[in-house]
Amino acid sequence: MSEVPPTRMNQQVFKGKKKAAETGHGLLKKKADALKVKFMGYAKAIAETKSGMASDSSSAFFSLTQAEYAAGNFKQKVSEGSMTARVRVGAGIDNVAGVKLPVFTYYETGAATDNASLGLVGGGKKIQLVRTKYTALLQNLIKLASLQTSFVTLDEAMKITNRRVNALENVTIPKIQRVLDYIERELDELEREDFTRLKLVQSKKNAEIEENQKIKDAAAAEMFAMGITVQEGNDADITAAYDAGDDADVVF
Amino acid sequence: MFWFAAVFLEWLQYECCRRRCKQSFYENITATPTRSYDVTSSDYNYDLWKRGLNILQSDSSCSVRKYLGNLLNARLFLLFFQLVVEFQYLRTQAVEPLATFLDFITYEYMIENVMLLLKGTLSGRDINELIAQCHPLGMFKESTMRSIPTFESSPRGYQDLYQTVLVDTPVGPYFSLFLQESAGRGEVSNVLEEVEIEIIKSSLIKYWIEDFANYVDSLGGATAEIMGDLLKVRADTNAINITLNSFGTPLNEPAMRASDRKRLYPALGHLYPAGTSMLGDVSDEDELGRVLDLFPQYSSVWNIHAAGGSDGKSIDDAFYERDVMQLELAFEGQMHYGAFYAYVKLKEQEIRNLVWISECILQQQKEEIHKFVPVFSFNAPWRAGSKKQGR
Repeated sequence: MSEVPPTRMNQQVFKGKKKAAETGHGLLKKKADALKVKFMGYAKAIAETKSGMASDSSSAFFSLTQAEYAAGNFKQKVSEGSMTARVRVGAGIDNVAGVKLPVFTYYETGAATDNASLGLVGGGKKIQLVRTKYTALLQNLIKLASLQTSFVTLDEAMKITNRRVNALENVTIPKIQRVLDYIERELDELEREDFTRLKLVQSKKNAEIEENQKIKDAAAAEMFAMGITVQEGNDADITAAYDAGDDADVVF
Repeated sequence: MFWFAAVFLEWLQYECCRRRCKQSFYENITATPTRSYDVTSSDYNYDLWKRGLNILQSDSSCSVRKYLGNLLNARLFLLFFQLVVEFQYLRTQAVEPLATFLDFITYEYMIENVMLLLKGTLSGRDINELIAQCHPLGMFKESTMRSIPTFESSPRGYQDLYQTVLVDTPVGPYFSLFLQESAGRGEVSNVLEEVEIEIIKSSLIKYWIEDFANYVDSLGGATAEIMGDLLKVRADTNAINITLNSFGTPLNEPAMRASDRKRLYPALGHLYPAGTSMLGDVSDEDELGRVLDLFPQYSSVWNIHAAGGSDGKSIDDAFYERDVMQLELAFEGQMHYGAFYAYVKLKEQEIRNLVWISECILQQQKEEIHKFVPVFSFNAPWRAGSKKQGR
């Protein structure tokens, strides 16, 4: 605080700073609110998806058991077979109030279903059921992954924003305010000092003038009494008393 | 000639009788799923149990243990171990024609293993990993197993593979039949590469059923009658399943229906030839239902499917249930070889049941736990009458 010279110019600068800080604070506050709304939304969606996942996954795994009961152990056949991905996960970016959130999307590559004839001599229908159940489970899983990642990112962003809001509110703005107060106080002080000084000079001058006047008045009164009128001013030729021949010439 | 088989059969049947005394087995396991089973109180051959337990605890290179992999569960392991050991014991003791009959049973697993090895080689898997996944009953000689994946995956390599290795295996003839039929498609390699593995497998299974049926026929007597019927039903089941499961796949396209799907129907069974030729033209479930309506023994199975599984039963359950009934009858018969086939299949069903129960327990699906087909159960629908008798 003390390092700021209390000048008019600095006051102007700090006024500008305060205004900027207040605008920034308002904007960040809005951002924090927007993030909070989104955050709550995500939390709700995650809870819903998760509760659905629990039953979905157990039914998917159980359908696998059923299929194995009907078709024998077909896991090896699937794992030994050639595998081309039928489903891929796409990564995109969603923008919430300037925060970039990763979004995973489920998309089908259009590749033909592998092992379509699996369980041909028994259990084929069950295996198809497993396929559909696991596909649904996968979709949910990707959705959940996307939500969770966004959730974590959002959480981080929200913390930073809140920290900034609080810092502006509780540290930066009061600091600028204090500087401004200080400058104002100092400037007022200076003004008051000037004023007092002027007042003092003025009063001294007045006193002097009064004194002179008094003396003059007294002298005039005396003269008047002696019958001499004092000629105001001094009109006498100052060069009349000067004699040029008094000094010898100066020879170098 | 039949003497040994008869004695062994007697023993198997005796054991099963003992098992029937322990009807409470499933009730126990489903009611108190977390309790570990007391081996000594079990209904199984005690010595075998003990041997199995030792292997389970100490020998990690055991083929059965590798095969079961992550499904490792002591009870399941022992059951599977018992099946493999008993079967191998039986096979080493058997004389012709039982020996060939038992070999025929293993061919099914061999076909499966060959397909696994081929497919695994195509995607460049480690051979040891693949061998570990093979069904222990369908193992070839170690040298054969190892030589399959050494061939390079080029047209030439496949030619060599087929000509030097596959032809020599017991399932070689089925391959050559399949390749002959697919000759129109060109090179061996192309066929092996292009045709879907499940379709190759179905074709091979079809040839196997036909071959097996021929062999059984040549044996004559009760074996031909009982085992022949089992195979016929097996053939029909395959035909119906293939048709049903082809809906929604390329196999159901009109062009493929005649050329490819029809070729997968075995040339025997109760549906053959009138039924299978009708099945060849079926394009959706309604039509399939209409065809099966003509065959009383399958319309009931179909109705369960058409009812949409109202009591939680699918067509697979219905087939299993009927299979179990038939196999039980075959198992209890005297003086025929079908009992051995029934033995293997019933054990398989039992293993399946156990996997089902363990999975249900693991996934906490208590209400589903009873949806399996118990073997030799007094509560089976076809034994409903006998429930009150005896015990």
